[in-house]
Amino acid sequence: MIINGRAIASGRAEGEVVVLNDDFSFLGGVDTATGELRVGGGGNISGRIFAFRRGKGSTVGSYTIFDLKSKGLAPAGIVNATAETIVTTGAVIADIPLVDGIDIEALCTGDRAIIDGDAGTIELPDLELREVVTGIVRRGDQILLMRRSDEEHHFPRSWGGASGRIEEGEGPEDAACRELMEETQIDARPVLIGKPFLVRGEGIIWRVHPVLFEAEAEPTLNWEHCDYRWVSPVEAVGMDTVPRLDEVLSRLGL
Amino acid sequence: MNLSAAEQRILDGEEGDGARKALELVVALGKIYGADDLVPITSAHVSGVSYKTIGDGGIAYLEHVSQGAKVRVPSTLNPSGMDSVRWREMGVSEEFAAKQLHIIDLYGSMGVTTSCSCTPYLSDNVPRKGDHVAWAESSALSMVNSMIGARTNREGGPGALAAAIVGRTANYGLHLKENRAPTVIVEADIDGSLFSHSLLGQAVGSRIGNGIPYFRGIRPDWEEAKIMAAAMAASGAVAMFHVEDHTPESSEHPIEGLDVIHVGEAELKDAQDSLTVVEDVELIAFGCPHLSIREVKEMASFLEGKEKKSDVKVWFCTSREVRDALPAEVSILERFGTVLADTCMVVTPVEGLFERSASDSAKACNYLPTLCSQKVRCDSFQTLMEVLL
Repeated sequence: MIINGRAIASGRAEGEVVVLNDDFSFLGGVDTATGELRVGGGGNISGRIFAFRRGKGSTVGSYTIFDLKSKGLAPAGIVNATAETIVTTGAVIADIPLVDGIDIEALCTGDRAIIDGDAGTIELPDLELREVVTGIVRRGDQILLMRRSDEEHHFPRSWGGASGRIEEGEGPEDAACRELMEETQIDARPVLIGKPFLVRGEGIIWRVHPVLFEAEAEPTLNWEHCDYRWVSPVEAVGMDTVPRLDEVLSRLGL
Repeated sequence: MNLSAAEQRILDGEEGDGARKALELVVALGKIYGADDLVPITSAHVSGVSYKTIGDGGIAYLEHVSQGAKVRVPSTLNPSGMDSVRWREMGVSEEFAAKQLHIIDLYGSMGVTTSCSCTPYLSDNVPRKGDHVAWAESSALSMVNSMIGARTNREGGPGALAAAIVGRTANYGLHLKENRAPTVIVEADIDGSLFSHSLLGQAVGSRIGNGIPYFRGIRPDWEEAKIMAAAMAASGAVAMFHVEDHTPESSEHPIEGLDVIHVGEAELKDAQDSLTVVEDVELIAFGCPHLSIREVKEMASFLEGKEKKSDVKVWFCTSREVRDALPAEVSILERFGTVLADTCMVVTPVEGLFERSASDSAKACNYLPTLCSQKVRCDSFQTLMEVLL
């Protein structure tokens, strides 16, 4: 699969991913004699595709990146959620491809990746991308959460919305209406389509398209769910939900 | 990003590898901040000079970039880690000095004027209103934005150098008029002394972060403005300010509906207390930003005929140009301390020489604890000099 981001510093590289799910300062954050990280869970970034959220700390960090490069210890590529001045400067002066606008949580340490700093993409050849929708029904101040049945392959017993894959030739809106009808017998049109985001599974990355409905009707469940509740969004995030349901709700303004 | 034919030629390497890499950096920085295009600049001011701050990685970079690049616009250099002439008196090591002089030579070889001052707008690098420039050094860039009405973002050292090499910078942020409007009104009620402006800057910067204040109740001259601008950029990230009926763009933006904050004696006292943790010090340092001609003259006239009665060290930091211009005043100051040029208390290795220091500059008092491991006292020139007299 290919994840599209923003091209910041040009070049192309292939390597194993090292993920640090945090902001990072090259000054102090990495041992410049070995390329070993001093923060997070450790790991060596030399020759790897180093993915972290955002640069921080001293502007000297730009020179640290150049220093690592001249010693042959620099990362082969850098992936950020949001690029800032220090890391961008370091990447450009050290000729390291940099792509930002990437959901770092979709990446795992050990993934094989190809970064293209001109196209602004990260290719993950060993991972499959699945486009899915998650439909949330709102009724007044409450939203409909349904509990996935034991027969579900992914996330049985977890609470979530009406969800499923987007079929060939289908858009997120149509897919969400179809899934909602199948799973609840509720016939409604979307009132809001949220910005999609990535969720990581084993060997799979789901691109989740959040969709909001408004309806008064009670759901009639099919086999996919075993229970339902009308809850407030605050209550919802406290429940045992499918991964990143909170992100779905926040992208729908709930 | 929309590039002109000339810019595309640089990016294609037709004007050399140095220019190509520099433009790549300018474009990449523009992309992350959403610039649509580049804008020609009339000058640059470059930071990243002290060996203490940029280290061997910085030298390696400068050796690399200086091989094939020259600046295209008048460019000046920020203070270095030592006085290029009097470094032995400062206690700087031979090794540090050799590397520091090498760094300055590398910048010089690219055509940068190596005057090593944070106040080039008072001497050899003076933009005009409306000029687009690429300046690093947070206090200096705030001064040219605010007191002159030239336009610059908060450039980093390599970004400013790259802009100087290609004569362009990315067109976003403070290069665009709409982003130069005030974001908050500050009603200042202060005694008007130089030190009160230093503390005012400290108080406002820590309150408003990267906002653009619109001051009422003050009319700062260049000396008062520079110590205030430096403080606001250090305690916050203020890159521009307006002063009602005083600074060149103060009447060009609407201020209706902005929040108003009041800063008076109580807030100044809090600001001073937040910076001060010791009383007795080993070093008293003035000149952050570098002392102007007028400041050196005023200090000399205050100290003339007085006698130093303490072994506390005093540094007066200024530019080479000011030191050379005022030999009589400098000799008066030299009876009380050392008049240093090219450097300042923040970028020189103070940590190896002293543990407790004082300054009237809130900016210096923000950075001395973190960059120089100092315990600090922030107080006025007159109060600090009483310690010695």
